[in-house]
Amino acid sequence: METRALHKRYGDKEALRGVGLAVRPGEMFGFVGANGAGKTTTMRIVMGVLEADSGEVLWQGRPMTFEDRRGFGYMPEERGLYQKMRVAEQIEYFGRLHGMSPAAARTATHDLLERLGLSERAGDPIEALSLGNQQRVQLAVALVHDPTLLILDEPFSGLDPIAVDTLAGVLAERRAAGVPVIFSSHQLDLVEQMCDSVGIISAGRMVAAGPVDEVRAREGRRQLKVVVRGAGPGWADDLPAEITHQNGVHVLRAAEADDQAILRAAMSAGTVEHFGWEQPTLTEIFREAVA
Amino acid sequence: MNDILLVARREIGVRARTKGFLISLAVSAVLVAALAMLPKLFAGNDSYDVGLVGSDSLRTAATTAATAQKVDLSFTPLPDEAAARTALLAGDIDAAVLDGRALLADGAVDRRLGVILQAGHTSVKTQEQLRAAGLDPAKVTEAMRVAPLTEQSVSPLRGDSSVRSGFAMLIVFVLFFLLMSSVTAVAMGVVEEKGSRIVELILTSIRPWQLLAGKILGLGVLGLVNLGVIIVAGLSAGVATGLTADLPDGVAGIVAGAVVWFLLGYAFFAVLAAGFGSLVSRQEEVGGVLTPLTTLLMAVYLVAFYAVAEPTGPLARVLSLVPPFSSMVMPVRMAATEVQLWELAVAAVAMLAAVAAVLAAGARIYRRAVLRTGARIRLTEVLR
Ligand SMILES: Nc1ncnc2c1ncn2[C@@H]1O[C@H](COP(=O)(O)OP(=O)(O)OP(=O)(O)O)[C@@H](O)[C@H]1O
Ligand SMILES: [Mg+2]
Repeated sequence: METRALHKRYGDKEALRGVGLAVRPGEMFGFVGANGAGKTTTMRIVMGVLEADSGEVLWQGRPMTFEDRRGFGYMPEERGLYQKMRVAEQIEYFGRLHGMSPAAARTATHDLLERLGLSERAGDPIEALSLGNQQRVQLAVALVHDPTLLILDEPFSGLDPIAVDTLAGVLAERRAAGVPVIFSSHQLDLVEQMCDSVGIISAGRMVAAGPVDEVRAREGRRQLKVVVRGAGPGWADDLPAEITHQNGVHVLRAAEADDQAILRAAMSAGTVEHFGWEQPTLTEIFREAVA
Repeated sequence: MNDILLVARREIGVRARTKGFLISLAVSAVLVAALAMLPKLFAGNDSYDVGLVGSDSLRTAATTAATAQKVDLSFTPLPDEAAARTALLAGDIDAAVLDGRALLADGAVDRRLGVILQAGHTSVKTQEQLRAAGLDPAKVTEAMRVAPLTEQSVSPLRGDSSVRSGFAMLIVFVLFFLLMSSVTAVAMGVVEEKGSRIVELILTSIRPWQLLAGKILGLGVLGLVNLGVIIVAGLSAGVATGLTADLPDGVAGIVAGAVVWFLLGYAFFAVLAAGFGSLVSRQEEVGGVLTPLTTLLMAVYLVAFYAVAEPTGPLARVLSLVPPFSSMVMPVRMAATEVQLWELAVAAVAMLAAVAAVLAAGARIYRRAVLRTGARIRLTEVLR
């Protein structure tokens, strides 16, 4: 799945200003960005619920069609279920809308409910479920037809840690089956753990994208972390790098600093407790990217 | 097509389970059955018990008069006036005749019974007085036998006019009730899906027109079920009270016509209701956005109501051809009077054309508006 130069304007507000992203089979893509950055808008355009002003959405290298989208699993940001309908009935209904046979829809529903720990609630109307459980049903609706692509808008919000693990497990299974998975989230640690690649969007533009490790390791973003016990203040003032200092921990931001020279300076200043290159966390990159 | 049926099946399955639907089904059936019985309730009794004190010469003559009026009379011989008074007060008899002299009742005598007994009395007394005057009662009767005037209608009106217009009125009432409730249900359903954002999910797997068609089809089937229940309830009430005997000829045709016109009217109003409904996102706004439509439906209802009173008037004749008025005025005319085949054809073709037109417009509004949640959307925004 790939988007190219998506533009979308609401009135005189430009929500998307050329969003391009790509997800390959078996890849899990974390879509992050500040509130109002354009994640939901992008995903709705991919699902065909919204029309882009310009740009294109490709599937297997050609423009995506309605028939392609029928095979996708989608979890919209605004959850929507028929409140009066029963849990199993509802999941089956969506399975059938995606073209499943009655028997296949029933089996898939049964299995999913089991997997998501909702078997006892199968006969209850949605409105009788807690919000978190409604969200599990929403997820089941997105998964029931064995989708060829998963697009989930903030699937983890509102879930307890156990449910988060369950969902992470379910998504990992789909990825292992070769399905591309895209989800947006504000829980960056989760994205870091789960995703193969990540895209950071800010004010309608992609500011960073690629495999998680690569984004983290990208030149100029490495940091040298040095902890020296007993060092006098100002020992690092003469070093050729931008330095921040906090409680005896010096973080040197330098892409190509002479780390050996710094190490020698540190050793002569006191007892070196920690010395090493570190990759910034996604949260740090995110803060910097959207600043 | 499969998807449409799937959507329709869901509508039926979910809505048929709701209390609201079952209650409206029961209420409409009971109401129509009661209305069908009403004429008989007002018509009063058709069997009376009469006490006779002394002479029972009245018996034969009164029975003859009663038979002519399709009324059953039975007689109870009583020993004296006191016994008659007791029986009247106890409600055992409806009236008592004292020896050809006086007529006793608890309050005023029932009008029909009074007429019958007076007629019997007159006939008995006339014979007695003829004999007393030395004339032969048989010859006098012979001389007074006259063929009644034959009755002919100069307009195409058929059957008993009060029963016929009652029947037409019932059709108007039922059609209005059903159209109003099904059309509201369509709009509410559209807004439910839009407001809960479930459309966003559904429309990734089926097309807007399929969702729309399925919903209208499903709710239409439920409306038809309701109509069927009403027809059965009404007709069985009619059979139970013997009213069906007085119905105009070709009841089956009239009922079938009403069903067809219901479907056409439903299609017309439901598509518009879905279009209008899709403009808003909250259930509270449905009433407001549907106002033009409900006003139109009311207007149709009022014209049809008027047509019951004057089924051959120019207003009824013209508007029975004009959609959407035809959907209620035409069935009224079919029940109340003779309708030319060409009129029926013109009305049907015009209505079908109107349905096709609103289908195009309604589906267009729906498709453009249903995914745009938030503030109410203006009609001009989506029709452009
Ligand atoms: N229907 C709309 N009308 C007008 N502006 C809109 C509409 N939907 C979104 N926007 C604007 O488009 C921009 C992108 O919104 P979007 O919902 O895609 O953000 P997001 O990244 O999903 O944010 P969040 O993390 O809060 O969910 C925002 O500035 C928002 O105000
Ligand atoms: Mg969002």
